[in-house]
Amino acid sequence: MSATEPRGIAAYTAARIELLGTTVVSGARALWALWLLFIATVAGLVRGGRPRGEIARQMYVIGNRSLLFIAVTLGFIGMVIVYQTCLQFNKVTGDFSQVGSQFIRLAVSDFAPTLTAMMLATRVGAGIAAEIGSMKVTDQIDALRMSGVLPVDYLIVPRVVASLVMTVVMAILGCLICYVAGGLTAEHSFGVNPEVFYDLSLLRWQHLGLGLAKASSYGIAIPVVAGFFGLRAQGSSEGVGWATTSAVIGGSFAVILLDFVWSIFGFFLFGASL
Amino acid sequence: MSQAPQRAYIEFVEVAKAFSGKPVLSGMSLDVRRGEVLFIIGTSGVGKSVTIKHLIGLLQVDAGEIWFDGRRIDQLDERDFPAIRKRIGMVFQNSTLFDSMSLAENVALPLRKHKGMRQKHAVVEARRRLEQVYMAEFADRYPAEMSDGMRKRAAIARTLSLDPEVVLFDEPTTGLDPVNARRIDRLIRELAEKLGVTAVVVSHDLVSIFSIADRIAFLYQGRVHALGTPAEIKGSADPIVQQFIRGLSSGPMETPGF
Repeated sequence: MSATEPRGIAAYTAARIELLGTTVVSGARALWALWLLFIATVAGLVRGGRPRGEIARQMYVIGNRSLLFIAVTLGFIGMVIVYQTCLQFNKVTGDFSQVGSQFIRLAVSDFAPTLTAMMLATRVGAGIAAEIGSMKVTDQIDALRMSGVLPVDYLIVPRVVASLVMTVVMAILGCLICYVAGGLTAEHSFGVNPEVFYDLSLLRWQHLGLGLAKASSYGIAIPVVAGFFGLRAQGSSEGVGWATTSAVIGGSFAVILLDFVWSIFGFFLFGASL
Repeated sequence: MSQAPQRAYIEFVEVAKAFSGKPVLSGMSLDVRRGEVLFIIGTSGVGKSVTIKHLIGLLQVDAGEIWFDGRRIDQLDERDFPAIRKRIGMVFQNSTLFDSMSLAENVALPLRKHKGMRQKHAVVEARRRLEQVYMAEFADRYPAEMSDGMRKRAAIARTLSLDPEVVLFDEPTTGLDPVNARRIDRLIRELAEKLGVTAVVVSHDLVSIFSIADRIAFLYQGRVHALGTPAEIKGSADPIVQQFIRGLSSGPMETPGF
C-alpha cells in the first residue's frame, strides 16, 4: 500500500502536467493557425479573385438577418441602463442633467459597438461557421481546392469585407437606437427633459474614433474566427455543431478581448480627457 | 514508357499516415500503370480514400514517397499542387457540387480558375461537358434540386472538364441505384479505353470491382495485402481476401470497431 501510493501520486501528477502541457501546446498552435488565417485573408483581400457579387450577397445576409435583432436588443439595453442610472441618481442627488451626456459618451466609445458585435458574433458567427463547416465535412472545401480555388479567397474574404461594413453600420444604428430608447425612458419614467438628455457637449471626436475602430476590428474578427472553426470542422453533423458552438464562444471572446485592448490603447492615447 | 524508367507512372513507396496518433497507412506501397483501371478495395476506414487524397495534396504523408510521372510529389506545397490537380482529377464520394452555383457554373469553375477562361466561354464549355453526361437540360438548375445520380454525373463532368490524365473516383457507385451505378462503371471503362485516362477507383461495390477493373489492390491493416487481376483476386487462396469478396460476416479479418 505504502509502496504504491507515492508512485500513484507521482503518476497522477505527471499525467496532469502532461495534460496541461498538451492543452497549452495545442491552444498555442490553434492561435498560430488563426493568425495565419488572418494573414491569408489580408493577402486574399489584396489578391482579389473572389466570386462576383458575393460581397453584396453576404452584406445582405448579414444585415438582413441581424437588423431587427440588433434594434430590439440595443433598444432594451439603452432603456435598462438609463433607468438604472436615473434610479441611482434619484436616490443620491436627484440631478439628472448629466445622465444623457455621460450615457452617449459611453455608448459611442464602448458599449454600443461592443454589444452590437456580441450580438453579431452569435448570429453571424454561427451562420458562417455552420455554412463553412458543412462545406468542410462534405468535402466541398477540398473540391474547391481541386478546382484551383483558394478557399480563403472564396469563402472568408467576401464575408470579412461584408461583415466589416455591416458591423460598423449596425453599431451606428444600435447606438442611435439605444440613445433614443434611453432618452424616452428618462423622459417617461423620471421626467427628464429631452433637451437636457440629448446633450452632445461631452462627446468628442476621440470617442467616435475609438467606437469606429472597435466596430471595425470586431467586424473583421467575427468572420475570421467563425471561418477558422468552420474550416476545422471534422466528421459529420456533430463536427458542424462543434464548429458553430466554438465560433459563437470564440467570436464573443474575441470581441471582449479586442474591447479591452482598444480601451487600454485609448486610455494611453487620450488619458483622462476621454 | 514514362520519363523516369525506374519509376512507375504513379508510385506509392512505403507511405505512412496517422490521424491523431492512430496509424491508418503503415508502409503502404503501390504502383499504378498508365491507362489502367485500378481498384483499391477494402473495408471502411482502412485508408482507401486517404491513399488517393495524398496524390492531389489534400493530405500530406507522415513518411514515405509518392511519385507521379517521374516527379516526386509528396513534398510539394499548396502553391505547387494546382499544376498536379490539372492533370489528376478527383470525383469525391459526396458529389461536392457547390450549392450556391448552378450546375453549369459548377462545371465552369475549374475551367475559369485552372485554364483562365472567361466566364462566358467557360459556361459554354460547361454546357458541352454536361451534354456528354446527359445533363444539358439541367445546366441552369441548382444541385439541391437534383437526385444523387444526377449530382454525381454533374460532378464527373466538372472533373472531366479539365481533361485530366488520371481520374480518382472515391466510391463512385455508393448510394446509387443499380442502373445508375452500372452507367458510372461503363463511363469509367470508356474513359480508359477511348481517352486513355488512368482511373484509380476506391470502391467496395463488388459488381463494379469484378466487371471493370484491370487490377485490384486489396488494402488491409495499412498496406496492400493482395494485388492482382480480378481473376487472380477471385482465385486467391488468402482467407482474408476470400472473406472480403464473399462478404462473410465472420472470418480471420480484423475490423476495427467490431
